[in-house]
Amino acid sequence: MTQASTRSRSAIAAHPVISAVIAILVAVSILLPLITPIYARTGPRLGDFPFFYWYLLIVMPVISLFLWIAAQLQKRITSEDVQ
Amino acid sequence: VSNVNGVTFTIVVVLFLVVTGVGFAAARWRRGGTMMHLDEWGLGGRGFGTFVTWFLLGGDLYTAYTFIAVPALVFGSGSIGFYAVAYTIMVFPIVFIFLPRLWSVSRVHGYITPADFIRGRYGSRGLALAAAFTGILALMPYIALQLVGIQAVLTVMGVGASSSNSFVKDLPLFIAFLVLAVFTYVSGLRAPALIAFVKDTLIYLFVLVAVFYIPTRLGGWSHIFDTAQAHFASISPATKKPLGTFVPTSASLGSTQFDFASLALGSAVALFLYPHSITGTLAAKRRSVVKRNMIYLPMYSLLLALIALFGYMAVADPVTAANVKRTGNAQLAVPYLFQHMFPSWFTGIAFAGIIIGALVPAAIMSIAAANLFTRNVYTEFIQPDASPARQTRLSQWVSLVVKVGALLFAVELPHTFSINLQLLGGIWILQLAPMLIGGLFTRWFHRWALLAGWAAGMIFGTIAAYNVASPTASHWAGSSDIEFGHTIYIGISAVILNLVIAVALTFVLKAVRAPAGTDETLPHQYTADPEAAPAPAPAGVGAEPGG
Repeated sequence: MTQASTRSRSAIAAHPVISAVIAILVAVSILLPLITPIYARTGPRLGDFPFFYWYLLIVMPVISLFLWIAAQLQKRITSEDVQ
Repeated sequence: VSNVNGVTFTIVVVLFLVVTGVGFAAARWRRGGTMMHLDEWGLGGRGFGTFVTWFLLGGDLYTAYTFIAVPALVFGSGSIGFYAVAYTIMVFPIVFIFLPRLWSVSRVHGYITPADFIRGRYGSRGLALAAAFTGILALMPYIALQLVGIQAVLTVMGVGASSSNSFVKDLPLFIAFLVLAVFTYVSGLRAPALIAFVKDTLIYLFVLVAVFYIPTRLGGWSHIFDTAQAHFASISPATKKPLGTFVPTSASLGSTQFDFASLALGSAVALFLYPHSITGTLAAKRRSVVKRNMIYLPMYSLLLALIALFGYMAVADPVTAANVKRTGNAQLAVPYLFQHMFPSWFTGIAFAGIIIGALVPAAIMSIAAANLFTRNVYTEFIQPDASPARQTRLSQWVSLVVKVGALLFAVELPHTFSINLQLLGGIWILQLAPMLIGGLFTRWFHRWALLAGWAAGMIFGTIAAYNVASPTASHWAGSSDIEFGHTIYIGISAVILNLVIAVALTFVLKAVRAPAGTDETLPHQYTADPEAAPAPAPAGVGAEPGG
């Protein structure tokens, strides 16, 4: 039990760089759709889609990818079972 | 009932019967020892893997809100409705931060509801009662939204709508609702989990067909966007303002960007505070199942973005736009669009998908509300020694009562934009954020301070929402108001007030050494995965199956 507790707490201390990368990936994933001024515009269009609309479509798989990387990194530093 | 299309009607009825059969058969699916235990009836035996959880959470999150309410707002006001798309994108990174911790600690201690966790973490029955009350209250308008969605489809189908008798008019809705109530009662969470497969198959089918087919009928995407842009820029004769926005505007034009962002953020944080989303999460077998779902669920968001665009298709189709204008009900935009664009057999499939898509979450929501009442009100305050069988029986009945409460919300509140029903629930449920999300990371907050902050947020949020007026309704007409010169979602301003009070009072209460309550959780339990490394059986009520 104490082993488990020290393991999870020391994971951040033992891997500061990887932990920071995880934090940044998650933070960026939240900010990309949250900061409205980034994408509240009509141009440039992609195909027939104004910028506002294709940005929202494209940002989704990007965030999915970021979270996947974050989960892989977490798995690496905590030996947790995440595929 | 003269103008009912026979083909559409038949297909909807047949698919509805199929789903009803699946709902009853679900009681036998992956069955554990006894159904009369809350872990079984209320959490499906806690044994769902990645695949089932994905369908269950998806069925949970994408509801009549998605198919009726969001396109209605897009149809009526333009880009502001796309806050729902931003919300369903940012929700997954947000819950990625805290949901695995909630799953772990709940599994170790056998928690079934969010209020169970609050009680264990702060050793406070009062705070848990506040959380349970909030959860049940917030779910009612959300379930009501599902009813409004079903009603929109039935209205366009012409079923009952032509009758002047309000009972006959709502009879089909009552029948659909009764069937839902009965199979929820019998099968518990297994019913919506199994039906979610049928539902998602139908939904993917009609959404993909609609997205590729309808634009070809309307002169392509560029015509759809151009028509929408011109439409929302035109000046309304009634208000002397533009009808809407094509992209959120910046400050100089009367900002909608701030409103957009606060609606998205508030809804995203709120989503996994809802008891039904937590129910769906806790039914997962492993911690990794929860995490994997945070990665795969954004695929549903893609669908939501496409569905929101149906609102613009309805604007660009003159027949649909005229139909909606004639009835004065924006909720009918998507049903009218499908009815005009599709052959009647395919309209039947799409309508059945929307109706079933509203029934599944309504079932999960009523189960979650019932669990809250049984666990955190009844056994806590009325009959502490109730047997698991008695608890389950009570939950089954409460799930029926909650649905009746939802009917009242559906009847009483204005329907200009049914999305407000969901946003109203969001204002209330967000008030759990400091105690629930805060509690997952720190025990710093004092329980009495959290209770005071919660009360302030609830009172402020309710009064502010009550005071929102529109040209057609004097109260409850919206979910945003103006604070400090910015239009902002009331849920966000209320939770900020809540948090400020909780922090300030925590300092005071710590200074006077008010009793902090016992914390039954341990730090490592927030990252535990009991099946990987078995934890000692907890002593709490109704912990593990067979325990």
